[in-house]
Amino acid sequence: MNILYVEDNKINAMVMDKMLSRTDSKVTIAENGSQALKVVKDKNLDLILVDINLGLNQMDGCELLQRFRKLDILNNIPVFAVTAYAMPGDEQRFINIGFDKYFSKPVNFDKLLSVISSIKGKENKTS
Amino acid sequence: MPFTAEQFGILAEKTLHFLLILKKDGKIITCNNRCEMLFPFKADEIKGKYITDYIIDADVKIFKDSIATLSDQNAILSKSLSFATEKEGVLALKFNLTYHNDLIYAAGIDTTEEYKEHRALITLSKLTKTGAWYYNPKNKEMFWSRGCYLIKDLDPDTPMTREKGASFYPEKSRKNVENYLDNLIKYKEPYEYTEKIVTAKGNEKWIKVVAQPVIYKNEVIYVNGTIADVTDRHNYIEKLKYNEETKHLALKGIQSGLFDHLIEKNEVFYSIDFKKMLGLPLDQDFVPEEVFREMIHPDDVEAALKRHLENLNKEGNHYYNFYRLKNQAGEYRHYEVHGFRRKDNNGNTTRMIGNLIDVHQKKLNEKTIAESKNRLQAIVNNGFAYTVLLDIEGRILMTDKESLKIIKRDSKIDPTKTESFFIDVMPLNFKNSFAHSFNEALKGNSIKKEVERINHNGNSQWLESKYAPVFDNEYKINSILVSFHDITEQKLAEQAIKEAHIKEQELSNLKSNILSNFSHEIRTPLNGILTISNLLLNNEPLEDQGQLLNYLEESKDRLLDTMNKLSNFSEIDAIHANLTFEELDVNYLVETSFIEYKHMAEAKDLDYTIELDEACPQTKIDKNLFRLALNNIIHNAIKYTSKGSVDISIDSKSLEKYIYIYVKDSGIGIDKKNFEKIFDPLVQESVGISRKYEGTGVGLSLSKRYIEILGGKIKLKSKLGIGTKFAIIIPKCL
Repeated sequence: MNILYVEDNKINAMVMDKMLSRTDSKVTIAENGSQALKVVKDKNLDLILVDINLGLNQMDGCELLQRFRKLDILNNIPVFAVTAYAMPGDEQRFINIGFDKYFSKPVNFDKLLSVISSIKGKENKTS
Repeated sequence: MPFTAEQFGILAEKTLHFLLILKKDGKIITCNNRCEMLFPFKADEIKGKYITDYIIDADVKIFKDSIATLSDQNAILSKSLSFATEKEGVLALKFNLTYHNDLIYAAGIDTTEEYKEHRALITLSKLTKTGAWYYNPKNKEMFWSRGCYLIKDLDPDTPMTREKGASFYPEKSRKNVENYLDNLIKYKEPYEYTEKIVTAKGNEKWIKVVAQPVIYKNEVIYVNGTIADVTDRHNYIEKLKYNEETKHLALKGIQSGLFDHLIEKNEVFYSIDFKKMLGLPLDQDFVPEEVFREMIHPDDVEAALKRHLENLNKEGNHYYNFYRLKNQAGEYRHYEVHGFRRKDNNGNTTRMIGNLIDVHQKKLNEKTIAESKNRLQAIVNNGFAYTVLLDIEGRILMTDKESLKIIKRDSKIDPTKTESFFIDVMPLNFKNSFAHSFNEALKGNSIKKEVERINHNGNSQWLESKYAPVFDNEYKINSILVSFHDITEQKLAEQAIKEAHIKEQELSNLKSNILSNFSHEIRTPLNGILTISNLLLNNEPLEDQGQLLNYLEESKDRLLDTMNKLSNFSEIDAIHANLTFEELDVNYLVETSFIEYKHMAEAKDLDYTIELDEACPQTKIDKNLFRLALNNIIHNAIKYTSKGSVDISIDSKSLEKYIYIYVKDSGIGIDKKNFEKIFDPLVQESVGISRKYEGTGVGLSLSKRYIEILGGKIKLKSKLGIGTKFAIIIPKCL
């Protein structure tokens, strides 16, 4: 399973990679929006995880989502928000923007991994 | 029995007759003694003398011509001859000349008196162009004196008959003239008439004929009369009449109520229009004054008559009166009379020409206007609003009492006495708004605007101003009604609520933003820490554990850093996000702050003044932050000045893009060494977020920071013990 993780914080990106690698997935890290947009053209992805705050003066996760939604190749590819914005109302805000799922930081891996495995299950059934 | 020669001789000497015997050539044969009166010699010296040597030249020819006609068949002749005597002057004698046996027997009587009278009459008749005539109805004899012939341009030798005399009259008047004479003969009454004749030379003349009967035994035996040439007089009268008629025609022609009042004759001539107005018969030129008087309204008669008499006796020539008259419809209408009086030598008015003007509509209009004016005044004085009525150039036409009081008090101008433009008597910061709204109203729009003014007590007053164009009958704007409704209380309440709300909202936003940011900044490293701990707890291969511990360290540092940032978090950053820049009137802004500290300055008995900028500069600024900054500086200036003055002024002219606001005091001053210190940002560090809206005591450093945030600068000049001058420089809206 190919997963793209867009995250500017290197530590968070690294530890996510280690965590997901345990689930038989291949994780590609993009540090910012423009890198992410290149990756989605090259790789055949199954899931995209996007941090919202991608650094000062950078395209944020919300804008990146909009860009993704315009690409045909990403049709039916789930995009999850993985963010430290976790004030009341934030989850609803991001879901409303169009993210398929919202995960606040610190990430609850039990939940994330179970969602990933359910996606994998669906794929196996269909393929 | 014939006379004896002796008897005859006595008779010849005793008679009053002058007796002469002449030859045909005028040689005197003999004469009686009486003839000595005629000649300069004695009767016995007569021999060889000729009569023609003693008669006047004019008579010599008459004598000779007459003698030549004498013959046996035509033996008797009457002739008058005048003798130029030495003693008696000219003696006129009427002679009876008898021809017999080649001798002429002449018997004359003295007719000098008659002759003189005759000559005088002839002269008189010539001078007066008068002739005399008589007519004998018995034998139809008609006699004309020379004057009569002269008037008719006729040869005096022409024999005259009644028919001939009548022939000079034109046909249409001839019958009348004949009737006059016939009637006189019949009824014995004298007559006179003036008629036109056409003379023998074809000239038209006007003659006046007077006739008088001479009655004998109750019968007219002849008629005496005169004829006078009155052409000049007649023409003159005609001319006068013509002028009069022309004038009356002119009066008739003018479509106005003209009249011509001949006071002596008590006649009034009225023009057609006059008669039409009053329903008088059009064919009647003159109406007696009494009749006219009856047409005046009974209530007005007495006063009108009184004015009329006063008018007639007053100086000058003008006449003015007014009253109600009954018109043809039987209704009373208001009229005014303007006239010109003509006076005689004694100063009495003899005649008056004038104009009667129907002023009914005018009167009604005046009444309506007065009523409308009262109504308008009532609207203006409605007690709610300050109301001012302006003409289209902005002059004050009318104000309510309250506004008048304010205008008089604030501008020292009384618009009811001096023509004043509203813009000249209003507070400076009104002017921009006024000019704009007034112009809009002139375009026909009703404008509503809220304006703030500082009243004489230094309090802020909010007014809702309304500009309503007032249209005349032709839908043209003829004035603008401006009203100001005091909405201060409402506005203050609104503002207080709004401000409270904004403050609350801002604080709440600020809190949640800060919270949100800190939450994010904490969660991010926490995510790393928790994930690593999860990995370590879940059998992470040993070779990776060292690396993970390093990551753990980094995340811990970042978390710590965030916590440090939190403690350093400054109010300024929050302020930036909460500014509202709007275009504002600098005069107004500064004046508001000025007013706020008035009581403080007055309490210290300082000379506290403000000088606004007439250009009314505008700036784009956050009102609250600016006020905080300015208030600090004013507060400090007053605080550190124990006597003297604090002067605030605005100057937008010195710099093209910036406005200076000066706050100058005569206080303790600041040492140059401390210039930096008073603006030390560390002072600001001690100020908490909650103090943002607290006006005073935050320190000058904050003022400096705030002004800088607003894109301005603060400069400082000061001398210890002399005073300080702050200059706030803010950008100008161009």
